Amino acid sequence: MIYLDSAATTLQKPPTVSRAAARAIDHMATPGRGTHRAAMSAANIAYECRKEAAALFQVPEPDRVVFTFNATHGLNIAIKTLVKPGMTALISGYEHNAVTRPLHAIPNVTVKVAEAPLFRPEQMTAAFARQLTDEVDVVICTHVSNVFGCVLPIEDIAALCRARGVPLIVDASQSAGSIPLAFSELGAAFVAMPGHKGLYGPQGTGLLLCGVTPAPLLEGGTGSLSISQEMPDFLPDRAEAGTHNIAGLAGLLEGLRFLRRRGVRSVADGERALIHRMGEGLAHLPDVEVFLSGQPDAQGGALSFRVAGRDCEEFCERLGDRGFALRAGLHCAPLAHRTAGTLDTGTLRASVSAFNTPQEIEHFLKTTAALLQSR
Amino acid sequence: MLYYLIVCRSLTYAQRTAEALERAGITAHILRSPKSVAGEGCSHSVRISQRSLTDALPVLHRARLDPKRVFITSGAGDYREVEV
Repeated sequence: MIYLDSAATTLQKPPTVSRAAARAIDHMATPGRGTHRAAMSAANIAYECRKEAAALFQVPEPDRVVFTFNATHGLNIAIKTLVKPGMTALISGYEHNAVTRPLHAIPNVTVKVAEAPLFRPEQMTAAFARQLTDEVDVVICTHVSNVFGCVLPIEDIAALCRARGVPLIVDASQSAGSIPLAFSELGAAFVAMPGHKGLYGPQGTGLLLCGVTPAPLLEGGTGSLSISQEMPDFLPDRAEAGTHNIAGLAGLLEGLRFLRRRGVRSVADGERALIHRMGEGLAHLPDVEVFLSGQPDAQGGALSFRVAGRDCEEFCERLGDRGFALRAGLHCAPLAHRTAGTLDTGTLRASVSAFNTPQEIEHFLKTTAALLQSR
Repeated sequence: MLYYLIVCRSLTYAQRTAEALERAGITAHILRSPKSVAGEGCSHSVRISQRSLTDALPVLHRARLDPKRVFITSGAGDYREVEV
């Protein structure tokens, strides 16, 4: 199988990831629940993981790196900390349901949408500048669209938020590990990300970088201040009730170390080159509409396309029959499809990781061309 | 033998404290706080030798990890809080 669905989950990981996870299952208990060897081994893994993430994203203290189950979990913590009933939130037109559904669940929240065409960062910044009016209580913005790979100008949007004193939540699901991201420079209230995509960790891991103290989404044991029935008021304990996914964190640590060795910039350059080649190749095929940026920096490691007269899910199945793993449909992001004008048809999405090769992209293009001729 | 216990609010804080001390050449060991010093229930402490406290305090101050509570003990159940 040629795997082109890394925007959902990176399947190929550094081999150290699964080894570390297996070792943790065999030898590690839970951080903070004892000082025997099994507990302290787990504690060391958790601490090293926090430090590695803090270094990668320029977080001033490892305590501000909170472990979550995935990006959705982190976004729920962030949104439910900052958005209260009756408030107004400003979001981009490319948000995932992990943002829009939590907002929808909070009563009487007004959601404003900053819309701009794909791959037009200056227009997106202008849309946020226009929409960031006095009644906006919080801004929530994805760094990269999970459907189109479109990079949003998050540094400019963060600067607008800082200037106007509005807290910012960043969904870094598609950018973490694939595009350099400096938490301390953004000044964001929260940055949420999964561990199982560009950070090359196992499923069931995620990180929430905290610029402010979150409200607990879950209450329970933390191994600290046990007499109090309130959750601790300090990080990371405040946001980490219950037993950690230590096997996942052991794997995530190795994924982060891989990124440090490889370099995020190097990963980004490689992914962009693959996507650009794929987009150019698809654009030459009959009846194919490709959503490709002319500026390589405006697109990350994902690309959407659709074929005139062909159902995207059906075409994805045909590619699957020939050994290519893509994802079709709405990608849990109907707002992004509405903004781009693809809500009726959906799209096929191909997404890459550090482990894809130019040869795989050429094979994919040849197979797609053959499929188009065979109808 | 006497030693000091630096009581920390969280395991992560204790790990940061121990790491800063070890980096400065001061041997530090993380343990669960004895129940009689833990205050509101479970916490973690960092144990250092009696002679290390003078060197440890400026190290922790530079790392912005100033201890809130420090106890001296012989390890036989006698804990006395000290001013730092």
